[in-house]
Amino acid sequence: MQSIINSIIKNRNLIIYLLLSFISFNYLYNNSSIHYSGIGKIGTFISGSTSIIYSNINSYFNLKEENSKLIEENLELKKIESQLIGISNKSNISESKIDKTINAKVILNSINKNKNIIVINKGEFDGITSEMGVISSKGVVGIIKNITDNYSSIVSLLNTDLRINAILKNSSTIGSISWDGLDPRIVQLNDIPLSSSIKVGDTIVTGGMSFYFPKGIPIGKIEDYNNTSLEGYYTIDVSIFNDFSSLSNLYILERTDNEEIKFLLNE
Amino acid sequence: MNRELARYIILSIIIILAQLLIFNHMNLFGTINPFIYVSLFILYKTSYDKTYLIIFGFLVGLIIDLSMQTYGIHTLASITVCYLKEKIEKYSFGVNSILPLAMISGTQLTNRITYFLIIIFLHSLIYFSLIFFKFEFTLTIFLYTLINSIVNFIIIWIISKLIFDK
Repeated sequence: MQSIINSIIKNRNLIIYLLLSFISFNYLYNNSSIHYSGIGKIGTFISGSTSIIYSNINSYFNLKEENSKLIEENLELKKIESQLIGISNKSNISESKIDKTINAKVILNSINKNKNIIVINKGEFDGITSEMGVISSKGVVGIIKNITDNYSSIVSLLNTDLRINAILKNSSTIGSISWDGLDPRIVQLNDIPLSSSIKVGDTIVTGGMSFYFPKGIPIGKIEDYNNTSLEGYYTIDVSIFNDFSSLSNLYILERTDNEEIKFLLNE
Repeated sequence: MNRELARYIILSIIIILAQLLIFNHMNLFGTINPFIYVSLFILYKTSYDKTYLIIFGFLVGLIIDLSMQTYGIHTLASITVCYLKEKIEKYSFGVNSILPLAMISGTQLTNRITYFLIIIFLHSLIYFSLIFFKFEFTLTIFLYTLINSIVNFIIIWIISKLIFDK
């Protein structure tokens, strides 16, 4: 106690100085608008920089909610996009109509087998039927195979059974995409005749000549090709845009013209 | 109460009155407003208690503030100068500063000039920094401080000569 009093007496000049400074500053702050706003600015800066830490932490916990909002928004945009594509006749991206897209989350996924299957959290109750096309924001993912009430399985692009009609975006040469079961980043584009000119980096999109996908959905780009085949076709390696190891949000395309086409074929 | 202290109090009253009645209304070259009351802090004897000086500085500054509508700027500059006076004395006069007889008039000229200039410059710097209170005006602050310090120095030097060289 004695030492506290001693130290107060020893530092009395400093204490008095600080006290009087505080009084003067208070006087200045309350009466002068320049200083009020100047000191206010410092206050705003301090409170702003501390609350940004709080908001960063908070936003981390709200990520899930934010994510679902973004998915909804994306879905809306996809719908609008498909409508616009339907309207414009000049566009060569898609001639078929997408009426509805359903969004779904991946709950099971594999890339290390040669017949990979993805399971999603939407099923028959959500309006999913067999053989619908599945895409992500980056491109083609696969085709719906089996459906239960609440879940569906997708034959992934990384499945040796799947063949998807594809074209070169630049030249519209028709080929088909399949997977050899080796590298999960690379699929093969077949049936491109040696007469067509291709180069590394060309984009491959869906061809639209199937029930599953409209024309123009991106698949990947040419990574490498080999023209020494005796059969008269290139063997082309295509690196896919989608990263299948980190799929999470998928969109399922619902096409109403499927039935009509099927009907025509059955006639 | 000894004669010296009585003399200092009378001097204070005269200088404050002069500041309020004459120098507050002076605008040399349109911008310079001499603060002769700073001379009170300069002439405060080194042997007196520093705590009283801070309180005295606060009161003087407050009076000037109230008369000039500067809302505490003079007060802040004054108490800062008063608080730092001890250190400035040590810096300017060296060993002599601890001697109770180290009066202003008995010291070397260069020491005295340094002492005067540091206090006046510091006071003006704080005053103009608070007046402009924006980083954009840093150059203006220094310019005003410099011009004002020089004018103040001349006036305060003359005052101290008048008081001590009788």
